[in-house]
Parts: sequence; structure tokens; C-alpha cells
Amino acid sequence: MNRRLVALLACWLALTANALADCKVHKGENVVLYSTTENPSVLIWDSRARLRDYHAASFDAAQAMLPHALLAAPGTHASVIACIPNSVTSPLFSAPDDAIGVIITAGPYRGAARWVLGSDVRPEPKR
Amino acid sequence: MTEGPFVRLNGTWLLTAFLFLSLAFAIQGTFETKTEIGDTFTREAQIQQAQIDLEDLLRLQIDEENSLRGYLLTRDPFYPAAYRSSAAGYNLKESAIRETLRQQQLTRAERLLSEYAALQQKWRNTVAARLFAYPNQQLQELDKSNKLFSDYETLQASQIRRELATTGDELARSTQSELDRSSYFRAAWVLVFGLLAVLFNVYRSRLNRELEEERTVTQILQRAFQSESAPLPHCEVGSAYLSATSHLAVGGDVFDIYRLAPNRALVLIADISGKGVDAAVLTAFVKFMVRAIALRVAKPAAILAEFNVVLAKAVGDPYLFASMFVGILDTDTFRLTYASAGHDAAFVRNGAVVTQLAVTGPVLGVMEEPYGTETIGLATGDTLILATDGLTEVRNPSGQQLTEEGAMELLKKTSPQSQLLADEMAAKVREYGGNRIRDDLAILVIRVLGLQVPRE
Repeated sequence: MNRRLVALLACWLALTANALADCKVHKGENVVLYSTTENPSVLIWDSRARLRDYHAASFDAAQAMLPHALLAAPGTHASVIACIPNSVTSPLFSAPDDAIGVIITAGPYRGAARWVLGSDVRPEPKR
Repeated sequence: MTEGPFVRLNGTWLLTAFLFLSLAFAIQGTFETKTEIGDTFTREAQIQQAQIDLEDLLRLQIDEENSLRGYLLTRDPFYPAAYRSSAAGYNLKESAIRETLRQQQLTRAERLLSEYAALQQKWRNTVAARLFAYPNQQLQELDKSNKLFSDYETLQASQIRRELATTGDELARSTQSELDRSSYFRAAWVLVFGLLAVLFNVYRSRLNRELEEERTVTQILQRAFQSESAPLPHCEVGSAYLSATSHLAVGGDVFDIYRLAPNRALVLIADISGKGVDAAVLTAFVKFMVRAIALRVAKPAAILAEFNVVLAKAVGDPYLFASMFVGILDTDTFRLTYASAGHDAAFVRNGAVVTQLAVTGPVLGVMEEPYGTETIGLATGDTLILATDGLTEVRNPSGQQLTEEGAMELLKKTSPQSQLLADEMAAKVREYGGNRIRDDLAILVIRVLGLQVPRE
């Protein structure tokens, strides 16, 4: 019984450690939203499922999902509340990306809890 | 022996052909590699150009978007014009890249480019056109749509970029491997070429050694089997020999003058079938066997008959035959007793008159027939000329044979002195044959000087 418990604990620790190790940002970390150089605005999603589906969907399907997203201006400040590593895939991505749960801490969407793509999140510059 | 030179010739030709073939193959391989590498470099250059064009395309796409943004912010009519110019440049660039991708058969990249261009067109129609028409209605939804287009296009462009980079890398690897392959190939050919050259050299050395050994053997044989014309009292002797195998100077013709007694000499001329060293070996046998028989048997016909039996039983070659003239010359009386086994090139010249001596039996080695003996008296100044069929059967370049009559005509015009006569006849035969000797020729000349000349 004890042995089984130890094994389960070890698995959980390994998975958690792996998840934490794979995430680019950590819970509680302050970040800045910034997308690609071509268009640095960031789509922020009302659910992780939509974030995931948006990137996996075809262009038309993705367009149909846009009402569920807000467009945050580049440089919007946020705080990380969750990170699911490598959970967003797309036929256009060379590798899976993270899904980051954030609370917007500045701007018109302040206080909103949303999901963003890992590559749209940058660590907040230290002052 | 007869196969030797043929095999050597074949071997030499084969190796030479191999050497030339290797050389030609190596040269051809080099040119082929050059062409292949040239093609690969051309492809690489095209891919690099497509990569540059793609970056230009992205720049033009951003220019379109920036022109739209600029217009929305300033309403300056410069921006719509800049937008149209960028859009036209984008379309041209996109066509150029598409053409390159088609040439390179990069179907996936071509498909991605098509999708990318279609998205851009869709963005122009659904986002840009609306914003240009209603610049005051900057709706959140339109911005999001713009973002969607932008992200999609960026990702697709990066995929095309990756595709081109992969192809470029593959081509670079292919060029490298082509260069490696070419180097190994050429090295292998140089090795093969070198080995063949070494083999050729070894073969040639061996051939030279064999030829040298053969030459030595031939020289020994020549000394052993040489026809001999010993001096005769009251006579002047001359002789000539032409071998059909010119480098060997031996053949199937033999003549011999052998003193049986102080005033009696055996005079022999024979033509053994065959040529070269094989026939020369038999001539030695003929010469010494006839001498041995002549020491016991006085009559030329009996000598021929006995030799005929020996030839059939001792040699045992059913295809071997010989024509032979055997004479016993009395050097006191100058009476010549002779027998001729099918040997018709025997003449006596008296001044300008040349007489042919009759054949007294068939050639040796064919049947056991009795041979007849003839006796003639030679006068002072008479010349006995014995030759082999190389004299009478020589053909001129048009194929005409000299014949006995022709030989007799030639004999009339030659010098009286024996050695001169023999040399002149040999020269005339060579000339008649167009400087080509097809059969061995032996000439033995005995001129009677008479008893006034002191004995030796």
C-alpha cells in the first residue's frame, strides 16, 4: 500500500516537475502581451478550449470563433495564473505551444481572466 | 608456337583497349559530374533567389498593411497609392516565386504560397477594402480579423521559408555528396587505370622476356640447323636463303653439301612442308639423316627411298611431306648422279642455255614409290642451280606465279659467279614478290671451274 502511494507520488512529482519545467512562464509571474512583429496585437480567449480550437481550426472556422476573443494592444500587462505546456498545436506551428492563463492587470480589459498563446507572452521587463 | 603471337597480340590489344576505355570512362565521368554539379548549383541559386523574393513578398505585405494603417491614422491620399503600389509589387513577386517553385517541383511550398496569396487577396477584399471605404468605422471585429489574417499569413510564410531552407540544405548536401561521389569515383578510376597500367607493364615485360628467350633459342637453332655449303674442289659454291618468317631466318628449306669422300660430295636440297622453327627442326633431321644414309648408300635413288621410309616411320606425321633433290657429285669427273623426289627447281646453266633437271619420283612422305637415278656430265663453266619452290612459286602483287620457265629466264640474265648468282636470284625473287616473302627460299649454286684450278 505504502509502496503504491510512493509510486503515485513519484509520478505526480515527475509530471508536475516536467510541466513546470516545460512552461516558459510561471504562476504569479508578471508578463507583457506582445505577438509577432508583423502584427503585435494579441488575441485573448475566454477559454483554453477556444484558444486550442482556434489554432487547430481552418481559417474560416477560426474566423467564426473571433467573437469569443478580445484584441489586446501590444504591451498590455498581465499576471500568469496557469500554464499548460505544449497544449496548443496547429498545422502551421513547427512545435506545440503553451496555453497561458492570465489576468489582465492594465488597460481596458483590466481584471479579465483570459487565455493566451505562450509565444504571445513576454516576461515583464525589470525596472 | 603458331598461337603464341596471336594470343600475345590479343592480350596486348585487350589491355590497351582497357586502358583507353578506362581513360574515356574517367573523362566522361568527370564531365557528367561537372554537369550534375552545375545543375545543382543552378537549383541552389534559384532557391536562394526564391528565399530573397519571399522576404520581399513579406515586406510588401507589411507595406500594404502599414499603408492601410497610415491612411486610417492620417487620411493622407498618399497611403492608398502606396497601398496599390505594394499590392501590385506583391502580385508580381508572388508570380515569380510561384514560377521558381514550379520549376523546382516544390509542390507543397507552391500550395502554401497559393494559400498565402489567397489569404492576402481575401484580406484585401474583406478587411482593407472596407477600411478604405469606411475609415471612420474602426471596429474591434475588423481589427481582430486583421490580426487573424496577419497571423495566418506570417505562419504560412514561415512555413514556405522553412520549406525553401530545407530544399536549399538538401541541395547543398546533394552537391557535397555529388562532389564526394565524384572524388571517390575518380579516385577509383585512377586506381583502376593505374592497376591496368601496372598490369600492362608487367605483361609487356613478360612478353619481352619471352621474346628474348625465344630469340636466344632461335639463334641457337639457327646455328644448329643452318644449311651448309662446304667448299668443293674445282668448283665454286654459292648460296642464299630467304625465310618467310623473316625475323627468325630459319625455315623448312634446307640445302647441304657434304663431302662423302675427297672426290665425292653429297649435294642436297629439300623443301619440308611448313614454315618457321617447327619446319626448321625437321630440316636438321633431314640434313643429318640424309648424310647418314648417303655414307652407307651410294645411289641417290636408294637414298631417297630409304629416307622416305624413315620419314614415314620415324616422324609419323601423315601431313608431313617433302620435295628433295639428292645428288652425288664426282669432283674429278664432274659427273652428277641425282634423284629428285618431286623437286622441280633444279637447273643446269651452260652459258645462256638453261636446262631443267627431270624429276625422278614423287614427293617424300606420300607413298613408297621407287625413285629413278639420273646421271649428267657437267662441263667447265656449267652451273648447277638448285632451289626450292620459293623460287618458282613466288607470286607478284597481281598474283601471277613466276613458274619454272620464268625462273629459267631469270637465270639466263644472272652473273656467272656462284655467290653473285645466288644473291641476284634471291633479290629478283624478293623484287618479283613485291618485297614480300610468302614462302621460304633456298638457293644452292655450284659452278664447275674445271681441273685447271688447283685443288684446295
